[in-house]
Amino acid sequence: MILYEKIKTLYTELTDEDFTPEGTIMLQNDSDGKGDYIKSWNHPTLAKPTQEQLDGVQ
Amino acid sequence: MSTVKSKKLQIGTDATSSNNFTIYQPATPDGTLRIGVGNADSPTEVGKFDSNGYVATNAPAFSAYLSADQSVSSGVITKIQFDTEEFDTNNCFDNITNYRFTPTVAGYYQINASLRSEGSSLSLAAFYIYKNGSSIFIPALDTEHSSTTHISGSTLVHCNGTSDYIEIYGRVDGSSPKFGNDNCRFSGFLARAV
Repeated sequence: MILYEKIKTLYTELTDEDFTPEGTIMLQNDSDGKGDYIKSWNHPTLAKPTQEQLDGVQ
Repeated sequence: MSTVKSKKLQIGTDATSSNNFTIYQPATPDGTLRIGVGNADSPTEVGKFDSNGYVATNAPAFSAYLSADQSVSSGVITKIQFDTEEFDTNNCFDNITNYRFTPTVAGYYQINASLRSEGSSLSLAAFYIYKNGSSIFIPALDTEHSSTTHISGSTLVHCNGTSDYIEIYGRVDGSSPKFGNDNCRFSGFLARAV
């Protein structure tokens, strides 16, 4: 499951609008072998998920 | 009328040699005129002219492209791995590790890039110009095409000639998204030194 899907699983109230270029959440990959990560999280009510929470999503 | 014939002409006689300039012909004439900083005995070249006018020898320019498709995750802004150089006049582009342009001359640079997005059920394709690790501009964003699309754009960016670097990131939303090797390009050149 990719990062975007994990976040949507954790927070079902998130919409695609949150992930648009003008949205509140920005996912990034620096092509350095470290994979996808949350570059910025500016959602007004939901807290940025921890790595443990993300790892727990199957 | 008299004619002065000399291979070097020093302008200035300041005690500090870097305050003086020298106009000269190289030791082995090659049809060029050089301008250097310093006294006539050891000028450091800063400019060169030939029969066509000024020759920009210290103006970085490069062009690189993606040699194979790069698979990405939908919705993730991903650095494009421009791994093949077409040219790189001053060896300022890293096509091996960081895929970034770090110009060695301070000035304003025109940065150009294009992205070919591939996949199915695509809802968004965009690319970003990054300076020193942060997005400074989104030159192109397409939400109209559900399959392959090709977008391009450019901007002017100031770089300090030492530590500033430029990268291109892309984003494709949809199924099996990737950056297509056809027409994914990154180029730049010094527009004006400062």
